[in-house]
Amino acid sequence: MKENVASATVFTLLLFLNTCLLNGQSPPGKPEIFKCRSPNKETFTCWWRPGADGGLPTNYSLTYHREGEKLMHECPDYITGGPNSCHFGKQYTSMWRTYVMTVNATNEMGSTFSDELHVDVTYIIQPDPPLNVVVEVKQPEDKNPYLWIKWSPPTLIDLKTGWFTLLYEIQLKPENTAEWETHFAGQQTEFKILSLHPGQKYLVQVRCKPDHGYWSSWSPECSIQIPSEFTMKDTTVWISVAVLSAVICLIIVWAVALKGYSMVTCIFPPVPGPKIKGFDAHLLEKGKSEELLSALGCQDFPPTSDYEDLLVEYLEVDDSEDQHLMSVHSKEHPSQGMKPTYLDPDIDSGRGSCDSPSLLSEKCKEPQASPSTFCAPEVIVKPENPETTHTWDPQCRSMEGKTPYFHAGGSKCSTWPSPEPSQHNPRSSYHNIADVCELAVGPAGAPATLLDKAGKDALKSSQISKPREEGKAAQQRKVESFHSKTDKDKHWLLPQEKTPFGSTIPLDYVEIHKVNKDGALSLLPKQGNSGQPEKPRDAENRKEYAKVSRVVDNNILVLVPDPHTKNLACFEESAKEAPPSLEQNQAEKGLADLTATPSNCRLQLGGLDYLDPACFTHSFH
Amino acid sequence: MNIKGSPWKAGSLLLLLVSNLLLCQSVTPLPICPSGAVRCQVTLRDLFDRAVVLSHYIHNLSSEMFSEFDKRYTQGRGFISKAINSCHTSSLATPEDKEQAQQISQKDFLSLIVSILRSWNEPLYHLVTEVRGMQEAPEAILSKAIEIEEQTKRLLEGMELILSQVHPETKENEIYSVWSGLPSLQMADEESRLFAYYNLLHCLRRDSHKIDNYLKLLKCRIIHDNNC
Repeated sequence: MKENVASATVFTLLLFLNTCLLNGQSPPGKPEIFKCRSPNKETFTCWWRPGADGGLPTNYSLTYHREGEKLMHECPDYITGGPNSCHFGKQYTSMWRTYVMTVNATNEMGSTFSDELHVDVTYIIQPDPPLNVVVEVKQPEDKNPYLWIKWSPPTLIDLKTGWFTLLYEIQLKPENTAEWETHFAGQQTEFKILSLHPGQKYLVQVRCKPDHGYWSSWSPECSIQIPSEFTMKDTTVWISVAVLSAVICLIIVWAVALKGYSMVTCIFPPVPGPKIKGFDAHLLEKGKSEELLSALGCQDFPPTSDYEDLLVEYLEVDDSEDQHLMSVHSKEHPSQGMKPTYLDPDIDSGRGSCDSPSLLSEKCKEPQASPSTFCAPEVIVKPENPETTHTWDPQCRSMEGKTPYFHAGGSKCSTWPSPEPSQHNPRSSYHNIADVCELAVGPAGAPATLLDKAGKDALKSSQISKPREEGKAAQQRKVESFHSKTDKDKHWLLPQEKTPFGSTIPLDYVEIHKVNKDGALSLLPKQGNSGQPEKPRDAENRKEYAKVSRVVDNNILVLVPDPHTKNLACFEESAKEAPPSLEQNQAEKGLADLTATPSNCRLQLGGLDYLDPACFTHSFH
Repeated sequence: MNIKGSPWKAGSLLLLLVSNLLLCQSVTPLPICPSGAVRCQVTLRDLFDRAVVLSHYIHNLSSEMFSEFDKRYTQGRGFISKAINSCHTSSLATPEDKEQAQQISQKDFLSLIVSILRSWNEPLYHLVTEVRGMQEAPEAILSKAIEIEEQTKRLLEGMELILSQVHPETKENEIYSVWSGLPSLQMADEESRLFAYYNLLHCLRRDSHKIDNYLKLLKCRIIHDNNC
């Protein structure tokens, strides 16, 4: 009996349990408080996640106690925060105090407690996003437009008393871009964006955070269209400016190309050559050196010895403007009856260089240089021998392509065209010149350099234009001046050699009598040095003065010997020139100035470069 | 003794005293400059700005230090539930919400801040010493502790300066909480020792936040007249 009762009871219970299980009801699952937040340090809310409800209606209750208190409290507000939440109002919220809270889920079957959560309001602060975001495009006058963003802090936050401190951040992007551009705005409630893409539609968002806490969510996107005409205007202006300047540049280039030569002549006027009084260019053309020389008043220039390598420079320098410097160069004078009648009586002396005619600017005035600085005698060599193709053409343009000109200074002299392809002839003439220079220098003890007016503008005889009536070109004298360092007044000039008529010409030394203010040299023949010219034949003893040690008085070159130079180049600084004659020479020249380049104008003298302005003038003819 | 003259003398003295007091109260803050400065005038506003910067910085450091320590040593040990009511400065009556803070007078508030700062002098000193002496001392935590100690000292000086400016008549109060947690830091039991550090850093983080909040409140109250 008893056994039956017991078994019946067990059976009933099991049945009941079975029934319950079959129905799916159970005590609630364990809830979990997953988040608590305070938007303003004055209230906060906690949310929990319910567990399984066990199939039965379940009630949740949150209980808490605070640090330092033993009393348990229940959640004061289940509603404000939404379902499954507990909201703590101002009077229930304390900072810097730990809250220990639990959620209890209860249903018919039972109740379940969640784990305890320790919460300190201090560390759960997260404000709401900023409100009233306003975005405008502002365009101040004379300035680029910018984006002006303004917003207001979220409600219920006390910033005035300093209880809460907010920091803001902005992000924006053009509509179709993927990446946002963020800007930190600090505590200010407005912001300017200065770099904008015109014509684009921008999206803007703002968020905020407390001084210590979490960032709020982003405010809703605010879009704005940037007008496109503003920067367009700017671009248009710049484009038009660029086009205009390009056009102007083209015009300038074109003008320079067309009229470059004359322009350069203006800028770099050629140095006028010397004018030698009484020098008849026509005589020179005829090739009658005796007459020429007699006309000049020279005495006794028969080539008594073989001065092949001597360069004769006889300078008669006068301080008057009509003085012509005459230098007769012997050695291999091609004897085509070329008359070195290049001297133009009308032209002021001072163009002692071989290519002084070429230097003469027909258009521009040359600066006056001191005649004392004549360095290289220009030697007019008539092509006496066809084979000797050295023609001294101080005024290349005066030769009409018939007479080859000796190109003093090797190929450097611009007015000395060497019609022959062979180059050694010119060089040997340099050789002579060097000798002469050296000779002159030796006794003088002064450094002297023959600086040839470099420039290849007169390389071809064909380029030589018609003879200058002025005669300056006819007899180009290279005036070599040796400027004594110690004694300015004493200038040793290279001895004058017999004219370019094929015979050796003895060298005579000429002493510069005086140098006047204008730079003209007044020369006196000096006897007794005839023996000397023969001496420096060898190259070894030859000293070449190719180095300018200094410039004195702005127009005198003080030359020093440079043992390494083989080439002589003569550079003459003209003291006087007659602009009209110069211009004429220049025009007549019509030489290979075209091809002369600045590099050609450089006189390579043992490493010393002279840039002969005359070359420029040539090049632009 | 001139009976007739003495009341007059007393009266004039009293008058002088009162007038002096009145004049003193309206005096602008004295310039406080570092020694050696030729021309320097630090206003109260500058002092408050500087103090707020320091307090903000100190709390950032403390927060980072606590996070790093917890992550490295005590994660998952549930120390947070044990660190209840365990800060030595809880004996100081500090406001816990805005309303309470607004009810405290300026002078009391400033004194309170100074007391809290003073209370932390010793704990910080020992914290640095102990962490330095640790085997495998965590470099990040040590450097932060050193920095916090230094900046707290400067903040304390600044606050004393502000106090002397705003309330010059305040006596130098020596109220502060005594910290007696040093033995805990040196315990042999690792768990106890770790909890001691955890607790110290937890309290430091909290108090530094308090000081920062209080100073920002006071700045707006004193300098901007509650109109920040």
